[in-house]
Amino acid sequence: MPVNHTENEKNLVSGLPGTANMKKVAIVGLPNTGKSQIFNNLTGEYNIVANYPGTTIEMKRSVARINDKLYEVIDTPGLHCLYVHSEEEIAVRDLILAEAPEVIVQCIDVGQYKQSFLLTAELLELETPMVLVLNSMDNSTRKGIKIDSLKLEQTLGIPVVESMSMRGLGKDELKAAIVKARHSTLDVKYGFRIETAITELAAELPFQLEFKHKIASLLLLSDPFVEKFLEKRFGAERGALIRLEANKCRRQVRGNIHQVFMDRRSRWVEHVSAAAVKKENTASEGFSYHLTQASRDPILGIPIFLFLMAVVYLGVVYVSGALDTFINFLVVRPVTGAITALSLPLFWNDLLIGNHGILTLGLFNAICTVLPILSVFFFIFGCFEDSGYITNFTVFSRRLFEKIGIPGNAITSLVLGFGCKTMATLSTRSLTIRKEKFIAVFLIAFAIPCSAQLGISMAILARVGLSAFLIVFGVLALCEMGAGMILNAIIKRKEESFFIQAIPPMRFPSMRAVFQKTYHRIVDFLKEALPIFLLSAVGLFAFDKTGLLGLTKQALMPLVVGWMGLPKDIIDVFLLAFARREAAAGLILKMVDAGALTYVQSIVAVVVTTISFPCVANVVAIGREMGWKTALAMTALIFVSSFVLVGALNGALVLMMGK
Amino acid sequence: MAVIRNVEQDEHIEQLWYMKEQGETSLDFLKKAMKRDFDARIIEELFLRGLVERSAGVATIKLTADGEARARQLIRAHRLAERLIVDVLGGADVEEIACEFEHTVSLELVNGICTLLGHPKECPHGMPIPEGECCRQATKSALSFIIPLSDIKLGESARIAYINCKNDQQIHKLEGLCIRPGVVVKLHQNYPTYVIECEGASIALDQEVVSHISVWKNFKGAEGTDEPKAADHKNKAGGLKRFFKAFFKSPSIK
Repeated sequence: MPVNHTENEKNLVSGLPGTANMKKVAIVGLPNTGKSQIFNNLTGEYNIVANYPGTTIEMKRSVARINDKLYEVIDTPGLHCLYVHSEEEIAVRDLILAEAPEVIVQCIDVGQYKQSFLLTAELLELETPMVLVLNSMDNSTRKGIKIDSLKLEQTLGIPVVESMSMRGLGKDELKAAIVKARHSTLDVKYGFRIETAITELAAELPFQLEFKHKIASLLLLSDPFVEKFLEKRFGAERGALIRLEANKCRRQVRGNIHQVFMDRRSRWVEHVSAAAVKKENTASEGFSYHLTQASRDPILGIPIFLFLMAVVYLGVVYVSGALDTFINFLVVRPVTGAITALSLPLFWNDLLIGNHGILTLGLFNAICTVLPILSVFFFIFGCFEDSGYITNFTVFSRRLFEKIGIPGNAITSLVLGFGCKTMATLSTRSLTIRKEKFIAVFLIAFAIPCSAQLGISMAILARVGLSAFLIVFGVLALCEMGAGMILNAIIKRKEESFFIQAIPPMRFPSMRAVFQKTYHRIVDFLKEALPIFLLSAVGLFAFDKTGLLGLTKQALMPLVVGWMGLPKDIIDVFLLAFARREAAAGLILKMVDAGALTYVQSIVAVVVTTISFPCVANVVAIGREMGWKTALAMTALIFVSSFVLVGALNGALVLMMGK
Repeated sequence: MAVIRNVEQDEHIEQLWYMKEQGETSLDFLKKAMKRDFDARIIEELFLRGLVERSAGVATIKLTADGEARARQLIRAHRLAERLIVDVLGGADVEEIACEFEHTVSLELVNGICTLLGHPKECPHGMPIPEGECCRQATKSALSFIIPLSDIKLGESARIAYINCKNDQQIHKLEGLCIRPGVVVKLHQNYPTYVIECEGASIALDQEVVSHISVWKNFKGAEGTDEPKAADHKNKAGGLKRFFKAFFKSPSIK
């Protein structure tokens, strides 16, 4: 389990157990430059890899053996520069400042070498031994960019490794380089006045502080987060003193300090590039370039989007349908047959394969109904993530979303919500504006079905008819829009927002990587969900046998049957939904198959399980991002509004098409 | 002789403006800042002309409304001159020429330069350039050789002249993506979101950010961007055409 670094500094310093004496290696770099892949190659662990900026939300730590010595390796979220903009970047900087890793490995996407070198310039100021990894060399040769790694090594005075991390190449060279990591010989010079100011300010900083030089220059740039960092560590009084000192030093420098810093850095980058980079005439722009452009074109983007949605729909419905039948044939029928043949006493028979049996509701529900759908969905979603489509979709759809109050910066998070709402909620950390963040978190929790649910809802609706599918997703979309617009109107904006987003080029997803990712997600799902499936089945069984279930059903009758127009057996579904939503959805699927739900009832049931309440993990994530009060308030609001909405939906549907 | 007196008066007025920018009003500060150039008689003249007001007791001095108007013109001319020299002439020795310049140019000429440069908001040192009438009317002229990035044609490249932006975070973010003065960018898309290519990366920007970026008009020099591509970009179908062309040309999906 990753540790929360933004709030809890204790966790920050302690790291993994038993790693106290190990040297630390931090892998940093711009977003989407292959840090996680390098981490996976080094440690043999698996951290999700994808082709959009911001895949890694939390630090991940593991241990790697290099030359018979153990190193603690830390994978970090993307970082643009050390003058930070978002919480996720603060987390990376605070990690570096607080833990002072012995080696920093910077990943560089050769296609964007200049942007990367700007970050290198800043990282060198930390005066920590460094290694550069040149990634996606194969892609860049197509772009006509050649970096002479030997020249780069000579120019900077630090080891440079060429790597094709997707294929696991360059691993041994990297290990060797980590051992040889050293300080650079080519620092950026900011001119006499600024250097003097930095040195003077650094001398005033507390003795035990690391990276005094870099912290002093951040203070000169009036970085608010570094002031907070110092206050937290040395107390408010000392913090205020330091701030005074910084103000004094800042006054010695005339004009715009930011400008001077940036000018010097970019001159440094030009110098390094001139020494080590050869640019040849670019080859003609290939298919992927045009596909990338088309996918975000206001006109061509629409058919591409619809095509991809159709792929998801057909994949989930037909491929998982086939898998379902296959597993049913292979496992469920033989097992059920065998148990029936044993002719056990009624109680045991019911406990195993009765309506609320451990096998029926627990194991079979998980592996026959939910698992096939999930695997197909995970696979397709993995392809999306790897292809780089999601960010291009952001560009294509931004205006539309902004009209209904969803900020452009939040679209990626919202799309991720279709994968896992918890991760999506955590990814809103990259949003700097509180209002945007609040709206995004709420909308993710509200009417977006997560992968588990989405797949199952699709399968349910495919059985009832395509029109039902369109109605449900139309209703969900309307709910999101309405909520977005209302929140946008209610919440006052304090800061000005802006949208600047680097877009990864689209590529054909690597099947190996997608299969690997799908496999890991399925394993995680089974580990996390299977026990809950089984436990909730047992719980429901006990509830049923003791007669409590009947009583609960009786009590909830008016709400469920009267207001929402659902059969009273659906209460089983609601109870399961408290534990895990996909378990509940799996049960609806069975009820549909058994013919227990009408057309309208199926629609209402799917909508209510989608929006009624965020899962526990999601609520926890909201609590961490927005605070517990907000999390509880949001949950309550969603709960109440969902029942109101669903009742209204039922009324409208019955009015339009009868029972 | 009279001309020289005027120049000296102007120097004092300018210094008082710098003091205003720093929130200073003490006469001592003025004396220190001007060193040997300080002249009590000139202060007296300025006072008689109603350009400064002072209080004898605590020895403070500041510009009157009239004085400020005069100072604004001077500073504006000075800082625009700096922009002109740095951006257009590529010079580095800014200060001296700018100092000569500010006393000799007419208001119209200053507004003309301001329009040519696309109404910059800051001098090369990052100090604010006071707004003129032309900025308030956002005069666009066929003569402007610096234009907003949003005005260049799709598929064209342009060199960034400067970025008018007050938000430090935004500047740092742009800077981190190498979007900075002197860099050549190519405009790929302008609806629904602007997409530019800069140093090998594609970057999406919103209208707000793009409006802060000014580029050189008719930039030639980026490799292979000179051919008149504009025709098939004018209509939206251009994208479609390009797409199918590429589709049928490329032998395999790679």
